Amino acid sequence: MSTAAIAALTAILLVGIASTVIGIVGHRARRTSDFLVASRNVGAGANAGAISGEYLSAASFLGIAGLVLSDGVDALWYPVGFTAGYLSLLLFVAAPLRRSGAYTVPDFAEVRLRSRGLRLVCTAFVLVIGWLYLLPQLQGAGLTVATVTGLPAWTGELGAGIVIVLSVMFGGMRSATFVQAFQYWLKLTAVTLPVIVALVYFLGSGHTYDRPAPPSFPERTTVDVHTGVTLQAGQDVTFTAAGRIDGRDVAPTEPQTWTAGSRHVVGEGTDLTFPAGSAVPVVAGGPVADDEWLLPLSGADPHQLLGIYSLIIATFLGTMGLPHVLVRFYTNPDGRAARRSAVYVLAMIGVFYLLVTLLGALSRFYTPQLLVGGQTDAAVLLLPTAVLGSGTAGAVLGGIVAAGAWAAFLSTSSGLVVSLAGVLSTDVLRGKRLSNFRFATVLAGAAPVALALGVTQLDFTETVALAFAVAASTFCPLLVLGVWWRGLTAKGAIAGVLAGGILAAGAVGVSLAGIAGTGVLGVLLYRPAIVSVPVAFATMIVVSVLTARERPTDVDAVMLRLHAPERLGLSRDAVSGRDRAELDEPAPDERAAGPA
Amino acid sequence: MSTIEERRADTGTVYERVQAGPEFADLRRRLRRFVFPMSAAFLVWYLAYVLLASYAPEFMATKVAGNINVGIVVGLLQFVSTFAITTVYVRFANRHIDPAAERIRQQIEGPAR
Repeated sequence: MSTAAIAALTAILLVGIASTVIGIVGHRARRTSDFLVASRNVGAGANAGAISGEYLSAASFLGIAGLVLSDGVDALWYPVGFTAGYLSLLLFVAAPLRRSGAYTVPDFAEVRLRSRGLRLVCTAFVLVIGWLYLLPQLQGAGLTVATVTGLPAWTGELGAGIVIVLSVMFGGMRSATFVQAFQYWLKLTAVTLPVIVALVYFLGSGHTYDRPAPPSFPERTTVDVHTGVTLQAGQDVTFTAAGRIDGRDVAPTEPQTWTAGSRHVVGEGTDLTFPAGSAVPVVAGGPVADDEWLLPLSGADPHQLLGIYSLIIATFLGTMGLPHVLVRFYTNPDGRAARRSAVYVLAMIGVFYLLVTLLGALSRFYTPQLLVGGQTDAAVLLLPTAVLGSGTAGAVLGGIVAAGAWAAFLSTSSGLVVSLAGVLSTDVLRGKRLSNFRFATVLAGAAPVALALGVTQLDFTETVALAFAVAASTFCPLLVLGVWWRGLTAKGAIAGVLAGGILAAGAVGVSLAGIAGTGVLGVLLYRPAIVSVPVAFATMIVVSVLTARERPTDVDAVMLRLHAPERLGLSRDAVSGRDRAELDEPAPDERAAGPA
Repeated sequence: MSTIEERRADTGTVYERVQAGPEFADLRRRLRRFVFPMSAAFLVWYLAYVLLASYAPEFMATKVAGNINVGIVVGLLQFVSTFAITTVYVRFANRHIDPAAERIRQQIEGPAR
């Protein structure tokens, strides 16, 4: 193992140990509400750090830079959408939901519509969305370990799963808040340092992207193509290969020549060796030359506009349905603090996305070989050694980046696992004791680990976008109509959630199974939101109108509670009764302990 | 808290009165009048980027400095606008929504203790 690998592994282990120790020793969870919402007494600053720490996942840390590397400006849609989705959550549902006293979407469904059936449907989709979102986190952990140490990917996936479950099991949300705030600052450091270093070198090199040529290999490079891929050459390129190209076996002894603009199918496991200075062929469909890459909508796919609209809908409306994001609004002492947190959060994630975008742009110069294998998600991880070499400086910087990447997986995953464990223990296991939360935590963490070991690995950002699409097609209509429309009925809500959810989740299932369609259908399978979200809204409204007689009788009181001010005595913790009942010791009034 | 608990026993009328009252209607109207136009404006700005990219690529390719073109600048401005809207919303809520909400609270619970 090289110095760089040892440094990175040490850094990863340190992050894992630190997170677990803070989780276990820092704050022992005592009560269920500690476990779920940190007793609502976390300050705005710490909470904003935690929200940002939790929100910036593998997709943000690795995925965005990877997409910028391959797609250029078009990749900006993801971070812009992730940020905007947060805004729509704040504008439409955050405050009313907070006042409803429901911690989760299933809780909200029950408070608003008094339907056990709807509650169960929501529970099922919380699990689907949560597990789908956990999948790229674990795969990211696997990729990080494999890239920086050369160990097999499953060790990282399993290791991350164990650390997450342990830290959540013994700490819950209260400790998660501080762990996540710490992890945000770690992540920010881990992208800021390489950006500064690489930018200095890049500006010194005098390189420009404003040229009609593809990137080139800085030195003789061998690329191992893991999965079969179609490559497009931007300029004539001569290289040697061992494996299969265009359906026939090739040996390293016969040099291959691809002419400019030609496309070639490269088989799984093929090694391609390019001499220094030769042009980089890229995965077909994306921009080839650097100056194309600088422009929006530069790819060759005729349906990319449809894909972008669908992505905008999914990210803009999906954020409000993500279980780990929603619950965070409860950890502030009051609505004012919650709003202040939101502003901090947008600043914090905005800065982070800007830096990651820059990293992606820089990696086009330093790690162009990733464009060949299609594994662009590794760009951030490989950049430090590509810029500084594999000596001590490169190893240290690489270690910091690997630690930041792990912080990203751990923070997002622990937030998700807390939320999923909460839902599992209340609705599926029907438990009343804290030990049930612990069992639920194991279950919440084990399922996605099994999934991660089994399914096709897409780009992380793509997988996360699938989770957003399912959330936008199910919980967004439920929350928006539930908060703003008195006419919603339980039957309408169930029908809408099922219609949108089955469409979106079905498309997601097909994508994850590795089946790719072509043309419009192919785009919709990866980006179903443009169809499934309107279907969900329409179904919900039509069925509600048809069953208008079944409107809950207390709709006026509930709507007043949602829209009237807090501290009216109208807001109640939906779980507080359950919570109190299971306590042996009398509960101190924890809200009094928070800043007023 | 006991006073609220007592009130809750016969709150049906209080809810209905507040629900029908002008203050509550006003509160919801103010909020809606802010939230929906704001979201519409933001969506338009968002879609403007996509439309510009697809129908005015030359404009997006206009060079600003070095590797930076108009497309990149407009893309990054999307972050700035999101942040700006949030800041405006928070100010609006602190200035207009909270006081209105406080008035309704007093109406239900009596003057602040």
